[in-house]
Amino acid sequence: MSTSLRIKQQPPARDVRPAPGKAGRGRRLDILPYALVTPLTLFIVGLALIPAGFTIVEAFFRVQPLNPPDEFNGLDNFRQLFADHAITASMGNTAIYVVIGVLLSTVLAIAMAVTLQKEFRGRSILIAVLILPWALPGVVEGIVWGSIWDSNTGLLNSLLNSFHVIDHYMVFLGQNHFLTILGIELVQVWQITPLSTLLVLAALQNIPADLYEAATLDGCSGWTTFSRITLPLARPGITIAMVQAIIATLNVFDQPYILNGSAATGASVTMQTYFISFQNLNFGEGYALSLLITLATLAASLLVLKFVYRPVEF
Amino acid sequence: MKQRTPLLRWFGIAFILLWSLVPLYWALNISLQTDAQAGSKPSNYLPPTPSLDNYSSLLTGGTDLAQSVQQSSVNIFIECAAATVVTLVLATLAAYAFARMQFKGRRVLFYAVLATMAFPAYTTLIPLYQILTNFGLVNTYTGIVLVYVSGFLPLATWILHNYMSSLPIALEEAGNIDGASRMQVLWHVVLPLARPGIISTAIITFLFAWGQFLFPLVLSSDLSTQPLTVVIASLQGRHLVPYTLLNAAGVLALAVPAGIALILNRYIVSGMLAGSVK
Repeated sequence: MSTSLRIKQQPPARDVRPAPGKAGRGRRLDILPYALVTPLTLFIVGLALIPAGFTIVEAFFRVQPLNPPDEFNGLDNFRQLFADHAITASMGNTAIYVVIGVLLSTVLAIAMAVTLQKEFRGRSILIAVLILPWALPGVVEGIVWGSIWDSNTGLLNSLLNSFHVIDHYMVFLGQNHFLTILGIELVQVWQITPLSTLLVLAALQNIPADLYEAATLDGCSGWTTFSRITLPLARPGITIAMVQAIIATLNVFDQPYILNGSAATGASVTMQTYFISFQNLNFGEGYALSLLITLATLAASLLVLKFVYRPVEF
Repeated sequence: MKQRTPLLRWFGIAFILLWSLVPLYWALNISLQTDAQAGSKPSNYLPPTPSLDNYSSLLTGGTDLAQSVQQSSVNIFIECAAATVVTLVLATLAAYAFARMQFKGRRVLFYAVLATMAFPAYTTLIPLYQILTNFGLVNTYTGIVLVYVSGFLPLATWILHNYMSSLPIALEEAGNIDGASRMQVLWHVVLPLARPGIISTAIITFLFAWGQFLFPLVLSSDLSTQPLTVVIASLQGRHLVPYTLLNAAGVLALAVPAGIALILNRYIVSGMLAGSVK
């Protein structure tokens, strides 16, 4: 597992083709590799690159399937997006999802990774339990957590009431704006934290043990060891964890869709893309919003790489 | 300090267990109760009279709701299995070429494949819908599987490429000297050696396919192709569907991925890590 983080540098491909010349002509075009990569290429070009090109171009077109013709309309789609309160509100919501989600998942991931850093009995079972939420569909996680947040029968209300923290059941989702987003984002954090934890853990396991021995000999406290050795040396893993959290949270859909429907208190930009495109059938604006989300995702990921990432050498 | 560290670790262990398991326990607990029991205040922390009635009414019942859960369970299995098989076959062929052969355009193509992983999947949601509409593939198994395969191929190719590159090349060279063709070497030498990598790629692909929601929400218009995730989401919107049945349906939808994650976790960890370093 500890080696997996270093797969950036690949060994050069080595050719296992039989020595040319056997067939008489040494320079014949070798078609086998092309045959092997053709299906992949067709999929990537036809169902990823061309569609991505569509998104970039059509963002500047008026595209309404029920109301032709399609025509170039410059930045009109973008202007309409920013004039629409539901859209700008969803941008604000998404910003909160990202901040809460990235911070919470990163902090939890570091804490969990430190817990798992040293070998102990039952550690592999604990890792199996840890990755469980990552493997489950976001929709079902929404249903499951819905039974915890529920205002009539939910677990949280029941517990808070039993411990006399509240004297009547509360509505957690759909009323208070921040509470709604926090409750929804916690479900996504539940889903993405396992991967973040494994990424940080992989970085921790590259830290040489003698650094910790030296720290113990020097009489460093647990906190000093953590803040001076563990945290700085885990930065490459933390960076990747934050990047994957940014991609997930900026594109959050399943959890708010299930837990809060189309209500403005929690709608995300990806939800708005879905509503604009497939309920209002305004594909042009949908394309424009998709393009904005994609650009925001790339920009935020690059920012994290620039400010959090530091190469670590042992 | 010697005392504080183990205590902190116990705290961490307890936290991980509670964090991962309490929500799942709660769904299971609700699904084993009757509506009246599930509605009590305070909640029943254990089912007072555990019963599988909710499950049997979903799995064997003839109501519309039960039938939609049954049909969409069949759909999700077909779509996930087909997407996994096609992805694995195509990714294995391409990964072998990338890892072991020299050809013009190899680098460019490889980086193009990796670059597609940097974009959020939903970038291509609307164009894929339009393309499938043009080919008459909306609301077909073929359409859904094509979209899944296009989404999972880059990652699968990347994981398998790394795995194959790390294998010792000497055995393959021996195969060549013995006169085996390159495809025979792939089949008889590389594939058996790469088995752990292939299993881990298969599991990751299957789990990704199982978790899909927005793509099938857009690309499937009725029960003939809708996967379980889409049907569960639609049940949730209807307030007539009892809360206990909804949780039972949820438990059914997460039983398969949860079982895979618990039993095959050693394959998943390596795949997850490989997949995120893009």
